[in-house]
Amino acid sequence: MSQTPSPIGLHKQLDAIWRTPPGLARLSSVNHTILGKRFMALALLFFAIGGLLSMLIRAQLATPNSAFLGPDIYNQIFTMHGTVMMFLFAIPMFEGFAIYMLPKLLGARDLAFPRLTAYGFWCYLFGGSILIIAMLAGVAPNGGWFMYTPLSSKPYTPGINADVWLLGITFVEISAVTAAIELFVTILKMRAPGMALTRMPLFAWYMLVTAGMMIIGFPPLILGSILLEMERAFHLPFFDPTRGGDPLLWQHLFWLFGHPEVYIIFLPAAGALSTIIPVFAQRPILGYRAIIAAIVAMAFLSFGLWVHHMFTVGIPHLALAFFSAASALVAIPTAVQIFAWIGTLASGKPRWDIPMLYVFGFFAVFVCGGLTGVMLAMVPFNTQAHDSYFVVAHLHYVLVGGFVFPMLAAIYYWLPHISGRQSLYRLSIPAFWLILIGFNLTFFLMHLTGLMGMPRRISTYPSNWGWDWLNLLSSVGGFILTMGFALVLADMVLQFRFGARFRRDPWQAGTLEWATATPPPSYNFAAIPHMDTRADQLRPARIGPTLAGGDGYLGFARNGEQETLAVDMMSGDAEQLIVLPRRSYLPLWTAMATASFFLALLFKLYWLAPFGALATLVLFLCWPIGLGSKSDRGPIDIGRGLAVPPDVEAPDNVTVLANRTALVMNGTLFASLLFGGLFLLVVAPNWQGSSAPTLPLWAGALAVVASLSAAGASAMAARRPGSVLPLRAGLVAAIALQVLALTLLALSMGALGDPTGHARQAVPFVTLGYAALHCGLGAIMAAHALWRHAQGYVSARRRTELVLARLWNGYAGGVVVLALGLVALLGLNGVAP
Amino acid sequence: MPLVRLVAGFVIWSAGFVVLYAVQALGCAYGWGDWHRPVLIGLYLLALAPLSWLAIPARAGAEEGPLHFAALWANRAALLAAVLIFMPVTFASLCV
Repeated sequence: MSQTPSPIGLHKQLDAIWRTPPGLARLSSVNHTILGKRFMALALLFFAIGGLLSMLIRAQLATPNSAFLGPDIYNQIFTMHGTVMMFLFAIPMFEGFAIYMLPKLLGARDLAFPRLTAYGFWCYLFGGSILIIAMLAGVAPNGGWFMYTPLSSKPYTPGINADVWLLGITFVEISAVTAAIELFVTILKMRAPGMALTRMPLFAWYMLVTAGMMIIGFPPLILGSILLEMERAFHLPFFDPTRGGDPLLWQHLFWLFGHPEVYIIFLPAAGALSTIIPVFAQRPILGYRAIIAAIVAMAFLSFGLWVHHMFTVGIPHLALAFFSAASALVAIPTAVQIFAWIGTLASGKPRWDIPMLYVFGFFAVFVCGGLTGVMLAMVPFNTQAHDSYFVVAHLHYVLVGGFVFPMLAAIYYWLPHISGRQSLYRLSIPAFWLILIGFNLTFFLMHLTGLMGMPRRISTYPSNWGWDWLNLLSSVGGFILTMGFALVLADMVLQFRFGARFRRDPWQAGTLEWATATPPPSYNFAAIPHMDTRADQLRPARIGPTLAGGDGYLGFARNGEQETLAVDMMSGDAEQLIVLPRRSYLPLWTAMATASFFLALLFKLYWLAPFGALATLVLFLCWPIGLGSKSDRGPIDIGRGLAVPPDVEAPDNVTVLANRTALVMNGTLFASLLFGGLFLLVVAPNWQGSSAPTLPLWAGALAVVASLSAAGASAMAARRPGSVLPLRAGLVAAIALQVLALTLLALSMGALGDPTGHARQAVPFVTLGYAALHCGLGAIMAAHALWRHAQGYVSARRRTELVLARLWNGYAGGVVVLALGLVALLGLNGVAP
Repeated sequence: MPLVRLVAGFVIWSAGFVVLYAVQALGCAYGWGDWHRPVLIGLYLLALAPLSWLAIPARAGAEEGPLHFAALWANRAALLAAVLIFMPVTFASLCV
């Protein structure tokens, strides 16, 4: 540190710390650049699979009375097409992009939790593989990508097809959940010093809001999948109307996730557009502040539209009006962004290049999709067009227009960052026109077939209904579209092989990612910059060499540790020094253990599943081994005359924020469960005359007292981190009390009555099970804090483990109270007439 | 704090939305009859009160900046969304 090495010398020192070795050691990589690329490559592979399936669909529908695919296979093909495109392509693609790009855009050396990134990737790979292997084996899901009950319930889908979806998608969603938490925390806490929230590039704002939406949006789907799988596997009736369930509950839970999901997919793409358009308009984005307000509005409004997928199920006019108005209104914040982009182009000096072709394609296609969206928001029209090919056309215009076209613009814009080479352009332009023409030929005509009455998901149709030529042309368009994508793929391969190399920043961009070398080094920045201005108006070509020379924060290699910085959430002032964990095989082993749990459930080896869950838990508990510090280090030099404490000595570090975020997500899942119980109580048929759950009052009351006392004991331990005896006594008491609460709740579950007989028993059974599980987790977190304290990792300054124990035990206490409240409510004789 | 202000309006909007939708369902399920609509209108007005307050610009001399501007307009959007989306409680048929 005393003698500044040359830029190359510094590169070698940092690369020795951060790099992933070749060979099998690649499996241990936790580096965000590598994992981001893996996510995107795998997502593109799934995109190709989904595209292949779409060609099979169009081949089948090209002519009437086609016998190309039978209805059974066709059902699997169209279900898998939707499932693959939504869950295995779109979500992981933007996750991978954000994982790759965000630290570079924000001026960090990696994400907040590199091993969690790796774990998420393996879950995505294994979960996605389950679905694809099932398809190859002929047992793929076949009830449509939204798996409506009762079609997907056991009596109507007796095979494992639906289980493959429920378990495979839930497994994949682990990667979405982990990515959401990680991105949220990274954006808030791991920016370059000086980058206040108001200096963040818009892409980071878009991803912050997207991550927030994922935190709230994914739990209802995960809960719905768990409940449906429990109904299928263990006969607990949640969706069976003959036993007090209701198929509409599934629709609510699915679309509570499903509609925000459309915006979850669109917002990252819009973030990419907000980054690309100013570069080619050669002026800063217009309406930075208005766009932030529009993103927030869009995010919230998107949670108030879900019932527009259910307009025809027979709900009162007032409810229809709520959701119809919200569905129409969400067009306004969308339009604010569209006009900001158009205004940026109109007031700038636009230059045309390949990414701009796709931006143009986006405008044309997405605006059409938006307009048909407003049409579908109107209840009378929706009733006419519901479940017809008009809806298929609309959703493809929105999703391809709102995600695939921006993604292709982003690929052409950022692929040089990954490859270090520029596009050859020879294939790029014909590829674009094939895609644009092919897409519109395929899907514009579907508006017409839909309006002519063609229902979606039919495997064939008679020849005398006037749909023949339109379907044939749609199929021709589909194949043209595929040729366009094939050319893009070829173009990408050629770019990696023959593209011209360049120095930094080929587009004269204004964002920080172009200040790295290309391809980027394993540590991103040899020194972390200080931001004095908005981080989308920089000069990367000028900043890059300065940073590579070590001029900035942490412009040195120290103790062989992977160092990066955490900042104050609002101001961006440097606050903590984060030492990130090194590469490890633990994420891979943990994901394999998780896979064993899901596979055991899938193959109905229920005795094995608890071992898989236990192995996962034990492996997770191994993650902190060797991390942290056994002594207080105090402020540490980070360069530029500043010294900050290590994050383990800071009260509001990324680990605490991540756990708070995880609890919000967990709370959303629990709130969805409470909603489900109340929904069934109020709306579901066959509750009159059902027997109330019998809860032993003493056990419930004692469980509440025990769990709340455990929360208090862990809070007391967290307040006295420097006193050994009260700390240990508090944690031991928390463990004992949570175990007592768990036991009491388990006893109560046994006393409820047969949970397979009626939803009135099944809902309390699951709710108490959830509460018992969280009592167990509270005990484990307290035991973990005790263990870390015994090892010397906890002190008056280093108290993260104590804070986590307090958070999880407090959450468990709250859950027990609410769970027992719901059970009591279901026990009253207040069943709706 | 500016982050809280940025989302405050729409958090209130969300809460209002959930409460109104739930009360609509409860009123129909338990047959609240003539009381149903007045309760809904009361809740509608209750939701508009804090939203109206949030939609007013901060006092002169209060902290200003890009995020405050975004927050103000997000909150105004939340007020507009509440006025329009909740308005059907005043006229739409409640249980049919």
